[in-house]
Amino acid sequence: MLGPDTTWYIAVAAVLFGIGTTGVILRRSPLIVLLSLEIMLNASNLALVGFSRHFVSVDGQIFAISVMAVAAAEVVVGLGLIVAFTRRKMPLDVDTLTELRG
Amino acid sequence: MITAASWLCLLAPLAGAVLITLGGTLISRTLAGWIATISVFVGFAGALVAFVKVAGERPDDRAHLSTAYTWFGVKLGFGEFKVPMQIFVDPISLTMMLIITGVGGLIVWYSMGYMKGEDEERRYFAYMAFFVFAMLMLVMGGNLLLLLVGWGLVGLASYLLIGFYHDRPEAVAAAKKAFIMNAIGDATMALALFLIVFKTGTLDFALTFYAAETGQLSSSTLNLVALGLLGGAVAKSAQLPLHTWLPDAMEGPTPVSALIHAATMVTAGVYLIVRTHSIFQAAPNVQHLSAIIGGVTIVVAGVIALVQWDIKRVIAYSTMSQIGYMFLAAGIGAYGYAMFHLMTHAFFKALLFLSAGVIIHHLGGEQDIRRMGGLRKAMPFTHAAFLVGALALAGIPPLSGFWSKDGIIASALADGGPLGYTLVTLALIGALLTGAYTFRLYYLVFHGPPSDLVLAHSGDHKPAGADAHGSHGHGEGPLSMLIPVGVLTVLAAIGGLVVIPGVWEPFLDWIDSAVEPLVTPTVATEYATSVVAVAIGLIGIVIARRAFNAGQELVAEGPMRTVLEHKLYFDELYDRVFSRPAQVVANRLRTDVEEPIVQRSLGEVGAGVTEVAAGTARLQSGLLRSYALVIAATVVVLVIVFVAVR
Repeated sequence: MLGPDTTWYIAVAAVLFGIGTTGVILRRSPLIVLLSLEIMLNASNLALVGFSRHFVSVDGQIFAISVMAVAAAEVVVGLGLIVAFTRRKMPLDVDTLTELRG
Repeated sequence: MITAASWLCLLAPLAGAVLITLGGTLISRTLAGWIATISVFVGFAGALVAFVKVAGERPDDRAHLSTAYTWFGVKLGFGEFKVPMQIFVDPISLTMMLIITGVGGLIVWYSMGYMKGEDEERRYFAYMAFFVFAMLMLVMGGNLLLLLVGWGLVGLASYLLIGFYHDRPEAVAAAKKAFIMNAIGDATMALALFLIVFKTGTLDFALTFYAAETGQLSSSTLNLVALGLLGGAVAKSAQLPLHTWLPDAMEGPTPVSALIHAATMVTAGVYLIVRTHSIFQAAPNVQHLSAIIGGVTIVVAGVIALVQWDIKRVIAYSTMSQIGYMFLAAGIGAYGYAMFHLMTHAFFKALLFLSAGVIIHHLGGEQDIRRMGGLRKAMPFTHAAFLVGALALAGIPPLSGFWSKDGIIASALADGGPLGYTLVTLALIGALLTGAYTFRLYYLVFHGPPSDLVLAHSGDHKPAGADAHGSHGHGEGPLSMLIPVGVLTVLAAIGGLVVIPGVWEPFLDWIDSAVEPLVTPTVATEYATSVVAVAIGLIGIVIARRAFNAGQELVAEGPMRTVLEHKLYFDELYDRVFSRPAQVVANRLRTDVEEPIVQRSLGEVGAGVTEVAAGTARLQSGLLRSYALVIAATVVVLVIVFVAVR
């Protein structure tokens, strides 16, 4: 098998996932939160592809493609929301957007 | 043919009731009255056709059972328990059918005059037609369950009609009282039927009676069943100790008192004993108990009637007393005479009530006999009718009550033994009392100088509400009231001539073809007791006349009179023993259980839920980042747990 060991792929994926999670938790701009989400999704894609390579099965790769499609759709909705926020001159800060408080 | 006519008889009044109910305000009040009257008379025609056909049959073939369909069936341990919708037509039920529809039709017709101008006449006539249907259901029901259905329905009709004047608190209270007292009897009867189903698996007349006659049931079962049935009969027929509802039931309109509380419903207990005589004969102690209850009721009701001031209440106590005679007869097995007295009583008691109704109507609703007097001149027709009814009630020959009452006394004498002689004594005391209280009433109402009230209502003056029918004949009331009174006068006068001992006894032969009597008095006994009973009845009348002429009451002021005016304290006793303790217990339960435990616990549960909800609502902060943190932390924790557990 060419290239580095599967462990490396998983390690990179874990690091990427951690970065994404940290971004989601720490950043207050919804744009950056969405971006961090994308990083988390791509981390999982990397893990899927890595495992797919490890087990010599294309299932993981197929799943990764699906995730990309869903991610693209999600970004459309997310960016649309952000544009709507901007148009209404609402603050782009997830800590002040707390209308769902019970 | 017989069964078709009988079904017609049963269903015609029901159709009338339904028609009036559905018609609502589309039909006029008069039309509602006619619908009720005609539907009951159609029933009478059906009963008459069936009677003629059945009477033409051989005495052994006179029982007809007609099944329409299976009402319901239940799988029980012993197999299927089925109750068909069926009617049973035999001489006993035919006699009842003729009385119910014949006398009932006359009374409904009379109501058209009596109730004219009342509010809610349509409701009244719908109830009346419904009552006739329910009563027919009771006597025609082809098995014990249908009998119980009719039993319950007449109780309902009685409740509705006693409480007809629902804006009068006394009427509502009387209706409730009647319903509750009857419910006691209904319950014991239902228990008796449960026991029968449990032991025999059927409520069919023939099968049940066969089981009772052939000794398939243990004597304790038979005693319990008979006691349960007797409880129902005692409550429905207002015998001691469940009698207190009947005098109060006089709050209802007078035709209702005549139909339900004199002629038909209250005699249902007698019908029940005669119908289920196989069970009672298999439990002779209970049957004798019913005779004793009847005998005691004759005297107790008779003495209370001596001091009553309400014209209808006097007649109501007299009804109790007369039904006592029927219970006595049924209790010693003189079924023919029980049914005979039931029939003649229906005639003369309906007549007395309807005559009283004419008087009450004429006097604008007055029922207190102290305010009446001297009505003989003002109301000659009613006077004659009432006198015939009173003489028949007192058992003066040749009027109807004479033949039936003396037959009962003679049967008791023929029964002999300590029981028989006790019953004869009670019945003869009853005859004395009957003459006395009946003629006390008669003299107070019709004789003496006219009272102010009577003067105010005689001549051109018409009672309130009489304008609509003031143009009719006699000035005593509208013709629709006077004609039924006239017909009943004739029936009360000659209705007893169907049994002349030793000469002509078609009525007894008719009843005997359905149920064999246990005692048959000899002709000599009959005439001997007749002489004694008539003499005693005449003494009662003479006592009443002397007291009236002397301006005295029959029972002088004193402790005795106080006791009688309180009706022997039955109401007070029941109030103390049942009503008050129940109220105390209920109040204690309310203050000690319902309020502190049930109500507070509900409040606490509600408050607790609110508090928990307020706590959990705080978790939903709306802060996106804290959600994400919680999710991430949870995942981390789960992964750690996962790994650690592995």
